[in-house]
Amino acid sequence: MSNSRRLFLKGACAAAVGASGFTIATAKGTAGSDVEPVCNYALVHDETKCIGCDACSIACREVNQVPEGVSRLEIEREGPFGEYPNQHFRFTRKSCQHCDDTPCVKVCPTGAAYKDPKTGIVSVDEWKCVGCQYCIAACPYQIRFINPVTKAADKCDFCKETRLKEGQLPACVTACPTKALTFGDITDPQSQVVQVLKSAPSYRTKTDLGTRPKLFRIASQSGEIKL
Amino acid sequence: MSPFHFDSLTWPWPIAIYLFLAGISAGAICFAVLLKHFKLGRDAYKSGFVQAACLIAPLAVFAGLGILVIDLTKPFDFWKILVFYNPTSVMSVGVAVLMVYQVALFAWLACVFKEPALSWCNGRWPVVEKLFSAIAKHEASITGFLVILALSLGAYTGFLLSALTTYPMLNNPVLPLLFLVSGLSSGAAGTLLGGVLLKGNPDGKEVHFIHNIEIPMILVEIVLIFTFFTGLILTGGQSQVAAFAAIGEGFWGWIFWAGIVVVGLSMPLAFNLFMKASSKRKFSYVAITASCSLIGVLLLRNFILYTGQMTVA
Repeated sequence: MSNSRRLFLKGACAAAVGASGFTIATAKGTAGSDVEPVCNYALVHDETKCIGCDACSIACREVNQVPEGVSRLEIEREGPFGEYPNQHFRFTRKSCQHCDDTPCVKVCPTGAAYKDPKTGIVSVDEWKCVGCQYCIAACPYQIRFINPVTKAADKCDFCKETRLKEGQLPACVTACPTKALTFGDITDPQSQVVQVLKSAPSYRTKTDLGTRPKLFRIASQSGEIKL
Repeated sequence: MSPFHFDSLTWPWPIAIYLFLAGISAGAICFAVLLKHFKLGRDAYKSGFVQAACLIAPLAVFAGLGILVIDLTKPFDFWKILVFYNPTSVMSVGVAVLMVYQVALFAWLACVFKEPALSWCNGRWPVVEKLFSAIAKHEASITGFLVILALSLGAYTGFLLSALTTYPMLNNPVLPLLFLVSGLSSGAAGTLLGGVLLKGNPDGKEVHFIHNIEIPMILVEIVLIFTFFTGLILTGGQSQVAAFAAIGEGFWGWIFWAGIVVVGLSMPLAFNLFMKASSKRKFSYVAITASCSLIGVLLLRNFILYTGQMTVA
């Protein structure tokens, strides 16, 4: 009896060591075997230029056929700050940050949430998604939602399936009347997005979580200073 | 902001019930194994308490999985979770554990109920007889793996939530341990309540055995809850905000202090301490103590799930 118990314990320990070794090995493997991306798309939202006209979110809804009641892109308004006639609002963009280190991709049980290795764009495979909503809970930016038509998780994909396919810029970038949005490849030092990022100090939100978001923001000069 | 509806809420109460059922299944089967191994031996199947645990374990896990599937936005696509696996996803790993757990569970049930099952068959189906004896040959290994899988399942329910960096209260290393221990205590309570309902002797050796384990388990649970919230408060920032939002004033604060601390932990602990292991037990005593524990664990699951999602990092 004690012999068989010892045998079992040995076997269980060997299995545990094997399983954890395999997990570590595959974790390292996926980290090391990353294909060299062709490009890495990023977006800059210049809050000093944004006037909160919502042309971007309306264009997004039309191009990507986003149903009523949900949205891939919202402009949040804070304010007014100051007294008439020197009143200011502050406009911030709420949409997918296309993290380099993606919490949603890590937790997705079926691999429906994935980062496109060629472009760095975080996307959803509608067919593979079962709607467990783990990605929605895992996103620290809380921008994912269930599309009421497809019943799959949905979010901004930099118009990957619509405008980018046709070789055009994302709908929001084209629609912006004040040129507050700049889209491009941050691995290309000549690209417009790199020029804009070098010309003014920018910030990103929740960087302490280590997600390395690729939605850069140039801070609006108006607005309050919060502690 | 109402206690059941707020912007950052993604997973509502059905998930809490699933977490509860997975925990009670893992806990009940652990106690069935303990009872058989240390107290009852070959006659385990005759005990109402073992019967109750062996009914609770599979039924709870099926009901939990059923709730989980219904809660998907695409319930008919649930098979994709079984086909596609992502090793970095806690949910994916958990689904794999759940599947293997069910196999081990039924193999062990076959070992325990081999005698009554074979006498019921009465030699009519020789295949069944062969199958049962083939499984029973490996009972020691099956029991060991079942306990490991049950403990993994109990901890998994906590890891599922602690993987979410979005919510500072859930993203907490104590949570899997807390869920494991409270799951085990709900399994003990379920076994006791089911056992006395199935005409088990409320003063039997099974009850005394489980009650002896229950006191240290409740104490560990209290220490873990204390560590959980102290850790959050000492971390500061949004973790501290989340902790005070949870156990401070308001609906969920009441649930925590009155429901979890008083009804779920203090009352069963007090009953167990006042009723010494040597004294005689009655049906009502066992049933009330077990019900308090079950209510406490169910409230704990809901409390952690809802308050955890209230504060975003």
